[in-house]
Parts: sequence; C-alpha cells; structure tokens
Amino acid sequence: MHIEDGILSAGACVGWYAATAVFVIPGVYEIKKRIRENLSYKPFLAMVGVAVFVISAMHLPVPVTGSCSHPCGTALAAIIIGPFATAVVSTIVLFFQAIFFGHGGITTVGANTFSMGICGGLSGWAAWKALRALNCPIWLAAGVAGFAGDLITYLAAAFELALSLHGQVPLVKQWMIFFMGYGPTQLPLAIGEALFTSAVLLAMMNRRPDLLPQVFAKKAVAQVPLREQA
Amino acid sequence: MDVVNTQVKGLGSEGKAPPFFDGFTKMMLIIMIVMELAIFASAKYMSSHKMAGGGTDDLVNNLASATKVNGEHHPFVELPGDSELSAFSVANFFAGVIVGYNWLRLFGAKPQQGRKEDN
Repeated sequence: MHIEDGILSAGACVGWYAATAVFVIPGVYEIKKRIRENLSYKPFLAMVGVAVFVISAMHLPVPVTGSCSHPCGTALAAIIIGPFATAVVSTIVLFFQAIFFGHGGITTVGANTFSMGICGGLSGWAAWKALRALNCPIWLAAGVAGFAGDLITYLAAAFELALSLHGQVPLVKQWMIFFMGYGPTQLPLAIGEALFTSAVLLAMMNRRPDLLPQVFAKKAVAQVPLREQA
Repeated sequence: MDVVNTQVKGLGSEGKAPPFFDGFTKMMLIIMIVMELAIFASAKYMSSHKMAGGGTDDLVNNLASATKVNGEHHPFVELPGDSELSAFSVANFFAGVIVGYNWLRLFGAKPQQGRKEDN
C-alpha cells in the first residue's frame, strides 16, 4: 500500500491529503483527551507508534505467491490508542518511512495514510467493537479486527489507484485488477496479523487489564483512570 | 506511578544481579528464531522455484504506472546498496529501545506492587 510519488495525479494527492486531515485533526484532540484521562496512554502511544513503524516496514516472504508484503498493525493500534489517534500515528510513520527508507512518497502520504491509518485502523476498531458488543471472546474479536484491518487497507489502496487511473476501464474492474496484485500475498499475512493481534491483546489482558480500562471494560480489574487510583 | 524506579530499587535492594536469561527472554528468543527460520525457509523455497520474491507494493506500483501515458513512479529517496539495511538496522535498534523502555514502565510490575511502592 506504499504508493510512490508520480503515480497519483496532483489533484488526487491533494484530495487524499484533505480526506486524511478530516481524521487527523480530531486525532490530535483524541490524543490530548486520552492523555488527561489515562496516565498510561503516553507510553502506549509511544510503543504503538514504534510498533506500527516497524510492522509496516517488515516485508515478509510469502512462498505461495512468490512475493513479499508487510502487515500493517493499525488495527491493533486503533484498539489500543483509538482510531483517530491511529490516523495521527500513521501519518508520522509513513512520512518517516518515505524520507528514510524510500517506502512510499511525500506527495502520497495522504493517500497512504488514508488506506493504512484510517481505513485499516477504523475497520479493525469497528470489528473489535462490534464483536465485543456481541460478547465475543477477546481472541476472536482481536483476530477478526487484525484480519479485517489488514485486508481493508489493501482494498483501500487499490481503490485509490483505480480511482485515479481507471480511465475508460470500469472503476470496479480496475479496482479488482489492482487488488489482485496485493490480495493473494496479503491473505496469509492477514491471517498472521489476526494471530498477532489476538496474542498481543490477550497478553495485555492477562498482564495489566487495568492499564486500558476502555479496551477491556468488561473484565478490567480497575475501571477507573489511574489518576483517580493514585 | 514510577514503575521503572521501583523495579530498579527492588533489584538493588535484594542484592541480586538482574536475570539476563529469564522466561521472558527465552520466549522472545524462541519466537524470533521461529520467525527467522520461517523467513529463511520461505526465501529458500522461492529461490529454488525461481520466484522473484519482490514486494507487492512495487508490483502494483509498476502496474499502476503502466496504465499511465507517461507513467513513471519513484520513491522519495532511493537508498543504494546496503544503505537500506543500515537505515532499517538503526531504526529497528532505536525502536527496540523505545518499546523496551515503555514496556518496562507499563508491564514491569504488577499493579499491587506498584501501588504498594507508591504508598
């Protein structure tokens, strides 16, 4: 999903920057609000930011298709730090990946953030919330969130490309052509991301559920903010 | 809530050296070795079957460029030779330090232990 410079038109780049800003600006407020509510939020924000940076740069070989791709980690991030904060974190991550690693481009930070940080994060978070509301176990809700977040990121990236480049070809057809470039390699990685998301959330639940009272609301040991505990 | 300080104090006051090969370290090393072996085996399989092993991002970027009249795409920076490995190593080293530091702050002590020390 790291779309490089020179692929999208100038108008599309500006449009995706604007669409991303709609989520990044409330993200800044979400971060400020949650920092006041939960003393452990800042360390989580730092850890999650670094984790998304590493995970989304980690190209893993998939022998079934003979190519490599990377997971995203934004579904897990959205569950832990919130979906709008994930948009902020993803913008920073993708900017640094572009200037240091040559992953993606500067003009496409908006489009790449929209697919990975917003579509991936929001879909994972929505899946988690919906399944937890239906009393699904944490491992299942987290697994579905990781899987959905990963695949929807690539569906969104393919859509961004198709929207700009479909020309005379029907949009949906061009969208699926681009997605088929990602999909077969991404499917096993999405399963891996589902397992990873489940494992991390289960470990956090077993170790310190009190640190994230909003995430583990139903089983948290202490559901009040840490500031009030102290 | 200063978990780092309570952990360090606890180790010092007991007069014991910090364990460097405890259960956590063993588990992390096992996971790392399993992942490295899986990557090695996958890469070997792809190599033996003459698969390119390129990234799907690049594949789709090339496909997208081919649909344009003057299609040329380029990353913002192109790191030559082993410098990409250097960039990844530096980033991952400091990523590990930051995650480790915050991990200790968050998960270094059980809540009861932290509150007892705070009191």
